[in-house]
Amino acid sequence: MSGEVRVFAQYDHDFDEICDAVVVGSGPGGAVVAHELAAAGKDVVLIEEGPPFAREDFVLDGAMSMARTMREGGLRTTRGTIMPTMQANALGGGSLVNSAICVRAPAFTLDGWCEEFQLRRSTRADLDPHYLAIEDFLGIAPTPDDVQGARNLLFRDGCRALGYSSEPIARNVRGCRGSGECFTGCRSRAKQSTDISYVPAAVRAGARVLTSAQVQRLLPRGSRVGGVAGQIVRPFTGETSHRFRVHAKVVVLAAGCMATPVLLQKSGLTGGSGQVGENLQFHPGVAVMGVFPDATHPEFGATQGYQSLEFVEDGFKLETLWAPPGVFAVRLPGLGYELKKNLSLIPRAAIWDAIATCNRSKGRVRARRRGMDPVLDWRLDPKDLQVLAEGLWRLTEIFFAAGAERILPGVHRLPEEMRSLDEARVIRAHDFRVTDFTLAGNHVFSTTRMHGDAGAGVVDEDGRCHEIDNLYVADTGILPRSPSVNPMLTLMALAHRIALGIAARL
Amino acid sequence: MLAVLAWLAASGIAVLALVRVFSGHPPAPPGARTLTRRELETVRAAGLAIYPRGGAIEPSGEDAGVALHADRFVRAQAPQTQLLVRLLFFAIEHATLVFPAPGPRGRRRFSSLTAEQQIAYLDAWRTSASFARRLLFTSLRAILTMGYFADEKVLGALGLSAQTIEAPRIEADLLWPAIGTAATGTGALGSNSDGTAARS
Ligand SMILES: Cc1cc2nc3c(=O)[nH]c(=O)nc-3n(C[C@H](O)[C@H](O)[C@H](O)COP(=O)(O)OP(=O)(O)OC[C@H]3O[C@@H](n4cnc5c(N)ncnc54)[C@H](O)[C@@H]3O)c2cc1C
Ligand code: SF4
Repeated sequence: MSGEVRVFAQYDHDFDEICDAVVVGSGPGGAVVAHELAAAGKDVVLIEEGPPFAREDFVLDGAMSMARTMREGGLRTTRGTIMPTMQANALGGGSLVNSAICVRAPAFTLDGWCEEFQLRRSTRADLDPHYLAIEDFLGIAPTPDDVQGARNLLFRDGCRALGYSSEPIARNVRGCRGSGECFTGCRSRAKQSTDISYVPAAVRAGARVLTSAQVQRLLPRGSRVGGVAGQIVRPFTGETSHRFRVHAKVVVLAAGCMATPVLLQKSGLTGGSGQVGENLQFHPGVAVMGVFPDATHPEFGATQGYQSLEFVEDGFKLETLWAPPGVFAVRLPGLGYELKKNLSLIPRAAIWDAIATCNRSKGRVRARRRGMDPVLDWRLDPKDLQVLAEGLWRLTEIFFAAGAERILPGVHRLPEEMRSLDEARVIRAHDFRVTDFTLAGNHVFSTTRMHGDAGAGVVDEDGRCHEIDNLYVADTGILPRSPSVNPMLTLMALAHRIALGIAARL
Repeated sequence: MLAVLAWLAASGIAVLALVRVFSGHPPAPPGARTLTRRELETVRAAGLAIYPRGGAIEPSGEDAGVALHADRFVRAQAPQTQLLVRLLFFAIEHATLVFPAPGPRGRRRFSSLTAEQQIAYLDAWRTSASFARRLLFTSLRAILTMGYFADEKVLGALGLSAQTIEAPRIEADLLWPAIGTAATGTGALGSNSDGTAARS
């Protein structure tokens, strides 16, 4: 069987396809499922709303890149606690624009999942073989020193000075050149995003990939589902044209934690549990810029090369960070000449961030009457706010331990600049309000959570919907709560297990 | 008599509002295709207030072409988002009625204020106790900052110009063409992915 990738210009009429399994979404979840099923000899159609990006399609201008690769042009925000959140709209989903961080979830987190959500086969030992399969396939390895660059290594030095654990981040890259451009797409083709890794492998194994194809509803077949239906959409404008239907024995939704519940809601498949779209969770993050006496040449280095898991059990993880200057400069204080002075510090700067588990802060995803974009209601719990404040403090400590001459915390009601750890102690005593922080949350979970009790979740441990036995979900919506670390690898491990289960049953 | 007076007053206010919103703006810079000349003038003025010429980085917001960049950025958004961004520009331009700039005639629209007044007005938004006002300012500054850093002169001044990267050709390059360009080397899959005419 020979596979193919179909692009926008190839659609000139309405069409129907028939297959064993249709997978909706080509991000880390969907691409793994599509590949494993195709490799097992199943006839697979993988549907992706976004276009495939060739190397020359990446633009370095952060704003225009977001407008091209992200849903709602990169300007999606939550209501309640207002926080920007980005979801990609491209072949490869989030893996096209993410920093390639691959971390196994800690054993204590997975044990906690099993206990709280009545899961029996999701301990670290259960998932380790699936983690390993993904790591082998993508060549995941710790970031070598020669592409770290100063802004990553200074983090290591600061952690060492304080006795905090730190490690080079393991990433799904091959031949990284340390260009720090992961957010706008890897021009070096080093990042093994699913569009250039799992999708081509699925095609080689016979999968048909329909890009620029938006699934709008699931087709019912008695008490089961019979496939999906939707329309072709023009890249970047979203203008719809031809209609399509894909009939399948099995439907796998991997459209992402926000789009999958919308699809279920629009198809009237919310089931009796009332859980579809509920439990929305994020890893909100705070970032701090530190300025060093000497040049850090921040334009060089892996986008996120170093991390500390020292405080994971306390609810936050510390990482280094880089993004197009126009994107992170948004956080810098000042106006006019003062702002320019702050911007001129960037060549001597490093930016590090804390992402917090925030299991107490929950929300919900609802479909809008028109279109497929979600309404996101979410609130940061005051206790989780304290965790973020703690993360801010630890970053500050590490900056000064690494030799920073000052930090710019970018938090309202705190001094705009702090020149010593002593000066920074105000952070400890500060009574933070949610609105003081400029938060961002790109890790999203739990809107179709996995739960042993059919009344309390949407899918079981095999990703299968409790109420519809040929409908599966394989995106971060199934994570019952935060994985404590960056979610991609854990999702891929779960997707791997889900695919093996489907292949055995089909 | 009262009714006539009320009618006259209402008409007067309406005329003043129309004059305030629609008249006296310079022509749009060449190349602008989405924003109106009023909106472009708001963005240009804000760009100059937030990024004046000189100082630690030489180019101003105007030199960096932030207004044209905002025009392109808005064009790339979905209609609903476009509307929100335009409402933001409108709010900044006309909120002087509610939050006047310091100094004489501080209730003029933002782009007609003096440079000092514009800076003071935006700084009041930036440091406001009201989260909503700060959020609007941050949104405006985000759009302008991304435009400012899209300019090579600015990146060059900070030594942040992008590396030249010669990427190897990979398997995926054989599976689909670049968006909006002629397909090369894509075999049976060769055609444009955005529906524009193929170049051969
Ligand atoms: C800037 C950024 C950086 C990040 N960095 C990291 C990192 O370094 N490490 C990490 O672990 N995580 C990171 N994440 C998070 C990670 O990328 C996501 O958790 C991951 O991509 C989720 O995978 P998914 O398959 O659930 O969904 P997605 O990756 O969102 O994929 C879903 C796909 O479905 C498609 N789709 C949606 N609706 C439809 C529809 N109706 N019809 C057809 N297709 C549809 C979408 O276009 C998308 O391609 C980052 C995220 C962002 C935004
Ligand atoms: S740092 Fe640069 S070369 Fe390395 S994976 Fe990211 S974009 Fe690619």
